Amino acid sequence: MAQSAKPISSPVPVDWYPSLAVLMLAVGLVITASFFIYEATSSRKSRSLVKELVTGVMASVFLGFGSLFLLLASGVYV
Amino acid sequence: MSRFRSDLLLLLVLALHSAPALSDLIISKLDRRIDLTSQSVRMTLTLKVENTGPDPVSEVSFTFPEHQANNLALLVAVSTQGKGKTRGSVTNLPIKVKQPNDSPPSLIWYAASLPKDLGKGEILNMDVLAVFTHSLRPFPEKITQAEPQLFLFQDSAHFTSPYNVKVQSLTVKLPSENVESYTKLENSKFSGSEIKYGPFENLPALSYLPVIIHFPSNKPFAIAKELVREIEISHWGNVQITEHYNLIHGGAQSTGEFSRLDFQARQHMRGASAFRNLMAMLPPRAHSIYYRDAIGNISTSNIHSDSSKTLLDIEPRYPMFGGWKTSFTIGYGLPLQDYLFQSGGSRFLNITFGSPMIDVIVENLTLKVVLPEGSKDISVSVPFAVKQSQETKFSHLDIAGRPTVIVEKVNVVSEHNQYFQVFLLQPCWIVHYKFSNISLLTEPLMLIFWFFSLFVACIIYMHADFTISKSSASYLAKLQWDEACETLDLVTFLLFLEVLGTIQQLQDIINRCLLIHDKLEASLRELSRTGDVQACKAVRKSADSLLKDLSKDLKPLLALLQSSPQAAHILPKVEDLFVKERDLQEKIMLKHATVVDSYEKKSMGRDTENRLASIQQKISALKQEVDDLLEFVEDI
Repeated sequence: MAQSAKPISSPVPVDWYPSLAVLMLAVGLVITASFFIYEATSSRKSRSLVKELVTGVMASVFLGFGSLFLLLASGVYV
Repeated sequence: MSRFRSDLLLLLVLALHSAPALSDLIISKLDRRIDLTSQSVRMTLTLKVENTGPDPVSEVSFTFPEHQANNLALLVAVSTQGKGKTRGSVTNLPIKVKQPNDSPPSLIWYAASLPKDLGKGEILNMDVLAVFTHSLRPFPEKITQAEPQLFLFQDSAHFTSPYNVKVQSLTVKLPSENVESYTKLENSKFSGSEIKYGPFENLPALSYLPVIIHFPSNKPFAIAKELVREIEISHWGNVQITEHYNLIHGGAQSTGEFSRLDFQARQHMRGASAFRNLMAMLPPRAHSIYYRDAIGNISTSNIHSDSSKTLLDIEPRYPMFGGWKTSFTIGYGLPLQDYLFQSGGSRFLNITFGSPMIDVIVENLTLKVVLPEGSKDISVSVPFAVKQSQETKFSHLDIAGRPTVIVEKVNVVSEHNQYFQVFLLQPCWIVHYKFSNISLLTEPLMLIFWFFSLFVACIIYMHADFTISKSSASYLAKLQWDEACETLDLVTFLLFLEVLGTIQQLQDIINRCLLIHDKLEASLRELSRTGDVQACKAVRKSADSLLKDLSKDLKPLLALLQSSPQAAHILPKVEDLFVKERDLQEKIMLKHATVVDSYEKKSMGRDTENRLASIQQKISALKQEVDDLLEFVEDI
């Protein structure tokens, strides 16, 4: 068994976590900013729900992964 | 001491009387080494077993007296092929307790099953390692700070083998070259730090010859009464180990007072029995190491690391004397790929079992392996007897909790770690489980969902209408504004701004008109006080001209409002305001003229008075209306 065993490593190299965290959080915050700018500048009738949702999903994906990598980089292995 | 003595006597008597059950085997050569250099007693047996009987033999038995067997932490036997220095492959022999019916009660039997039967006349080389804890008795049991620590060790010079032994010898290694006393036999020899007994020739089975050695030892007698090791696996690339120690100095009890000054000044004389520091041999690439206790971080620690190990040198908050206790926690992270492997469909963790502390006996070890959420089919394989259970632990970002395997074992020595030192063979213990990589995404998905729900809340807030009064001017203007924003037509937008500006100007003019009205009223009051008709007429004249100018200004503004569609909803109100103001102006003029007239005639008829009263009534009503309208327009 020990012969056929191969080591399991993390899906993303551990060394990348800090830079990934910074990058994804930055992108996520920029998209969040654009979301709120859109919310503030468009009127209720002209707002498109699809656009809002798409921006929201993109921002939350980046923020979600960004905060996960931030947790991992700071030593909180979830 | 006396209990041991009686045990030994009993054994001796029994050994002389009972006939050994397994007499087909003989041990042609037996070398026994006992290592007393640390607190756990290590006994190594090198023996050559020969089958003299006609039947093949599948088991080799060992016996230990009961008082030793109770303290037996580990017993490993291996068989080696080949002879002398060119030893071939090594096979680990499974060992189990096997008590024959006719055994003396104070003997415990262990049977090692051979990989293949030993035929007639065949010879087998075997190595056995036995580790005993709590086998050294401090004597005297209580010492002061300045006294050295002395121990008694007791064993038989003859190994109590169930087989006849042709030649055997015993070597006892002491921690130093000093010895207080030892049992002297005919062929005993003390040289360096070793005591040699033997060789003894042609001994019958179960022969017993007690020896007692009384020797000083100032090795650390660190005993972990309780050790909880928590191993938390994160598939994001880390194995986090946290170890909670409850440590006691298990040597001779310290008595009398403790002088820190003496200890600092002459540690070797006054405080030799104490230990100051402990060494932990952590695996290589250990990171994020910490050492703390209930109060907080303990700063007296050091790390020396190289490619093969990480040495953690920790110092408790105070030197440890006999019977003193301390408790602390160490923790470290290890890279996942060194310990977690995949084979077939399942994953397995292969990590050290016991404490990484060098030469610490663990009385009660609780090992918790926290597997990632979603692990299934968990099984633990441990080559020695342990107590197993499972629980669920909740940690960061968990929904169902992490399955946790709990393994408990008493009397753990360093040989229980991953590989047996000399008896190298198999990895000691392994945790198997199944885990799918999809489950790895649960945590980021939870975070994403959390952020997304914030955005959704924001969208809902922006789409919902929380206005209470749907008809207020500000609401209508906001709608107008929204509309303007919506069409994003610059012209409309500018027009809208223009309308707002116009309304502002209009308001301004009307306010000025109202001021002039107030002036007229004031002049009337002046008239009634002084009777100066000329001054009053002058005020009237200037007011007339001012009002004319203002109404001239007002007209184009009104026309602009009427022409622009953006002002449509507000136009009726503005027009109303305009008409009411005009009306008010007329009435005030009328009142002024009437009053001045009556003053000139110097008479005030009853009908004039009545007329003035009715005009005054209308004026106040109109004033109220104009004020209301102005307020409305101001709201925009």
